Amino acid sequence: MTFSIIAHCPRTGRFGVGSTTFSIACGRRNESIRANVGVCKSQAFYLRHVDVLALNMLEAGHTPQHILASLAASDPDFEYRQLGIVDREGRVAAHSGALVRPWSGKIVGESYAAYGNVLAGPQTVEGIVAGFLEHPDAPLEECLLEALEGGRDAGGQAADGVPWPERSAWICVTGQLDHPEVDLRVDLHERAVDELRRVFERFSRLERRTA
Amino acid sequence: MNFSIIARCARTGQLGLAVASDLLAAGRFCAAAVRPNIGATFTQGVPLPRNNRLALNLLAQGWGPAQALKEIAGNDSGFEQRQTGIVDREGSVAVHSGTMLRAWSGSRAGGGFAIMGEGINGEPLLEAMAKRFDSIPGDDLDERLLSALEVGRDAGAGAVISAALIVWGRRDHNDMDLRVDFHGGPIDELRRVYADYKPTAEFYDERARNPRNAISAKEFAENLKKRRAREGS
Repeated sequence: MTFSIIAHCPRTGRFGVGSTTFSIACGRRNESIRANVGVCKSQAFYLRHVDVLALNMLEAGHTPQHILASLAASDPDFEYRQLGIVDREGRVAAHSGALVRPWSGKIVGESYAAYGNVLAGPQTVEGIVAGFLEHPDAPLEECLLEALEGGRDAGGQAADGVPWPERSAWICVTGQLDHPEVDLRVDLHERAVDELRRVFERFSRLERRTA
Repeated sequence: MNFSIIARCARTGQLGLAVASDLLAAGRFCAAAVRPNIGATFTQGVPLPRNNRLALNLLAQGWGPAQALKEIAGNDSGFEQRQTGIVDREGSVAVHSGTMLRAWSGSRAGGGFAIMGEGINGEPLLEAMAKRFDSIPGDDLDERLLSALEVGRDAGAGAVISAALIVWGRRDHNDMDLRVDFHGGPIDELRRVYADYKPTAEFYDERARNPRNAISAKEFAENLKKRRAREGS
């Protein structure tokens, strides 16, 4: 009941996360991205401290692969969890547990990961990736939003063949500063990804200068 | 135009922030503005989100809010174009309203809280927000902060398009962080989001602790709707 993309931009070194879900206010999870460190976004029965822990481990010098192994070893319910980690070298590790609600799965690419659960099928995750890669020269925030739109248009979330609405959505990008360069949210809306596009267009036209 | 409140709950030690603004997505200026067991801070007027981290780092080093504010003043050539407030974990408060802001602008410090308004319709709005926040000390901090924003709205603050409500407790992530980024009535909309989020928050925590027995978010949302329909009838 969530799909997300996490990414490191090899051109600029910026980090980004984009996420949308049925649940309220997915963007409250602002602990999941840390400037100049990385992104760890967990979902599906997520424990909120896990993202903080993973980023602390990244900051200490561990690799995404090692962090994932440590999390697996420490969590008896790991097969219920889904998460991805990307570091500032673009290394990625991701996990989609066997007991996460179907359809669930992940795609790991060069410096990005896309994953989701309670989706219409693998086409949703493929749609996320297609959207993300469509304009490789665009700013990361645009790629993240196109990724969410790609997932939505490929079928989005569904349980037992019945589509679920995206009720909240979030894109966040960090650069060299400690606070995000882009951080836009829709917390409760019947078509949250459409609404996020509306907010983003307004942001792009008027507000960049204040960030 | 911006009005905001930063506060500490004397009962729980929670720290929080609520803001409404005529800028898009005021919540994006609130990054790192609240840190558990350290304090809450906010800078508005001409936004400068980097002040948040600096102010709380100064508190974490051991400075009180008054000296932290002086350090920030000395660090920022645009200090008079901003309002900056700081509250620490003991409820001490310092707040500054710059001389180069839109009229009417001002601030008010209370016991454990500070209110700032910029480009608003006058001082009574700050008084009304303070009175409201002070009048419900037994309520949760999130409710007190949101109520203060609503009183500001009702006092004729003016047109705003975004709002945010943030509360941290003992954990290393927020207890609540809700936003409305671009809306004709963002404070009403924030109340709507809050009304659905508040009873759901514990469910989100519990399903993570005990995934084997968790119901789905959709089932929870439908149960909540049914319960409200029953209670309403």
